[in-house]
Amino acid sequence: MTYRKKLLTGLCALLSGVGGAALATDSAPGERPRHELPPSKDGNLVLGLCDGETSLEVKGVKEGEPLSRAQALEVTSQLMQEWRRKNPDARWDVVAQAPTPPPSPRKPSAGKSNQAEGPTASSGAAGMAGKKDANVQTGHTYGAFSERDEALWAASTQAFVEEGNRVFHDADALGSKVAVSCDMCHPDAANTHPETYPKYQVQFGRVALLRDMINWCIENPVRGKPLADDDPKMKAMEAYIYSKRKGVPLEFGKH
Amino acid sequence: MRPGARVSWMLAALLYAGAASAEGPPQGAPPPKLPPGVSAILWKISVPPGKEPTPEKVALGEKLFLDKRLSLDDSVSCSTCHDPDKGFVDGKPVSEGVEKRKGMRNSPTVLNAMFNATQFWDGRAPTLEDQAKLPILNPVEMAMPSPEAVVAKVRGIPEYAAEFKRVFGREVNFDDLASAIAAFERTQFSGSAPFDRFLLQGDGKALDASAKRGWALFNGKARCNECHAANATSPLFSDQKFHNIGIAAHKQDFVKLAQQGLRVVRTGDEKQIDELALQTEFSELGRFLVTKQDNDVGSFKTPTLRNVGITAPYMHDGSLATLWDVMDHYNKGGIANPFLDGGMQRLGLTEAEIDDVVAFLFTLTDERFAKLNAKELAKQRGRKNVRPERDTAVAMGKKGSLGDIGFSPNVQVKNPADIGVYGGEASEGKTADKAKAPAK
Repeated sequence: MTYRKKLLTGLCALLSGVGGAALATDSAPGERPRHELPPSKDGNLVLGLCDGETSLEVKGVKEGEPLSRAQALEVTSQLMQEWRRKNPDARWDVVAQAPTPPPSPRKPSAGKSNQAEGPTASSGAAGMAGKKDANVQTGHTYGAFSERDEALWAASTQAFVEEGNRVFHDADALGSKVAVSCDMCHPDAANTHPETYPKYQVQFGRVALLRDMINWCIENPVRGKPLADDDPKMKAMEAYIYSKRKGVPLEFGKH
Repeated sequence: MRPGARVSWMLAALLYAGAASAEGPPQGAPPPKLPPGVSAILWKISVPPGKEPTPEKVALGEKLFLDKRLSLDDSVSCSTCHDPDKGFVDGKPVSEGVEKRKGMRNSPTVLNAMFNATQFWDGRAPTLEDQAKLPILNPVEMAMPSPEAVVAKVRGIPEYAAEFKRVFGREVNFDDLASAIAAFERTQFSGSAPFDRFLLQGDGKALDASAKRGWALFNGKARCNECHAANATSPLFSDQKFHNIGIAAHKQDFVKLAQQGLRVVRTGDEKQIDELALQTEFSELGRFLVTKQDNDVGSFKTPTLRNVGITAPYMHDGSLATLWDVMDHYNKGGIANPFLDGGMQRLGLTEAEIDDVVAFLFTLTDERFAKLNAKELAKQRGRKNVRPERDTAVAMGKKGSLGDIGFSPNVQVKNPADIGVYGGEASEGKTADKAKAPAK
């Protein structure tokens, strides 16, 4: 079994698990479905998982109290354990089984690690260089792009991805009140399967886009305020998540 | 120089080199402190390896840049037409060289010229080094008869003889001279404009309501961004391509001129093109002189819009006095000619919308020229009612056959300036400015 197939199998298992869950999504039509969390009788913090079902009471931390990143890592890993217990056959992520923590605990700098790999469409700039004088643009006003152009396009896109990488790992940027960031459940954007969207999402009871799922996670477990669809942070995170799946076939609607 | 002094100089140089190799930035790295409107990536792409400016080269280059002795009669320096106090331009329609000889082209700013893909209005020089040599030799500019004459003259100036030795370790030569000037020019990046504060640092007050509407129009109805493209990685507001927008069509029969030009121009002869461009009517052929391609007849490089507020008059021949004139020119779809760029069309901008775009353009000026910018704005506004280029009937589609204008989006629903990303909007401490959508 190839690595990719393993990953996909894991995803399918996860999604079937989610499908079987009873969801607390009785919301008025037109309203965003919500994951209602059971209240803690001691006023402790209750954190919900993105399956719309699992939640965890954090003993010793009152609702509204801040968490450190270390605490948040501890709590999210407990949540994941709980989910695994409920779904023993599902494999959340073959990658995540050998987790490599992000290099710096709070705000990892955007490194070269996000360089996407795989086939790329090219405007043929590489061939242009072989021509007589690479510095001279001849003829076509819009057609003849230089290697400089392509370098700038690639760099612009990469900067966008790096910005997404930063936000993805930055609980503050996500507006988290509990120090939780996306990478805690999705190291290196694993199991975000952007290539499967749009698709029917059981948590919502409707078809969802990738950004809808990002916002779902921002509400639980990140506990931030959902971002507008055109928020620069949302756009950047989409770029980052897509970049991690470069070369993977589109699997629109896949479960 | 006393021997002792020389030894200490050498020691200092050695120490400097040692320190640089031990702790200095790696070779090819951009300066550690770049303004928000300049990107490190663009710096790296634009500065050829080995051409990174060193403090010694920059100091020598600056001195040369300001020195009138580089001209035939000691009357003109680089800075005569690229005056550092005036945003590195001369404010004249076309530049004047020795004996007030006039060229055919408007002096472009040195600010951010280091990022240009090619130099000169027609891109005839690929690098700053190549560019620096030509005005020194052009008969209507600094008018030195030959590179040898320049070298002989500079060698005869004792301070330069010594300084070239120190900086380059050899006798004065034309390449090193150009390389020093280029090094100085590579320090003239500029990217601290109110616009940068607005977009990259989340300062909603850096632009007033009119300029914000102008930024929306720039990306939308006015279609400026089609050629004057910018993002955080390449913040020049220029595609670095060549377009015929009909400016030269004011005074030329292009077809005839191009035919004549073909007989005269020798491909790849920079010096000949330089002279044709500055001294003859062939100047108006623009990029065609360099490429001999029909598509390039009458086309000129898209200039950067950074600091555009202080670099009037406008266009390759300085024929438009104000940014209102520039907007009038584009609003009516340029001037028809057989080689007009396909992207030119009437815009249908109202007078209020033109004011907004101009207000935005004045926010692209570096803060260090804020005073000059305010002065220029007042000056240009003062002559707002003199509008030789205005043709409202054509712009609004009541006359002529320029077709219907494109869809004008409702910026209240979707601000064209928010489509995709400029980049850097969401970065640390740069909160998305919710007031960005222009108020009605």
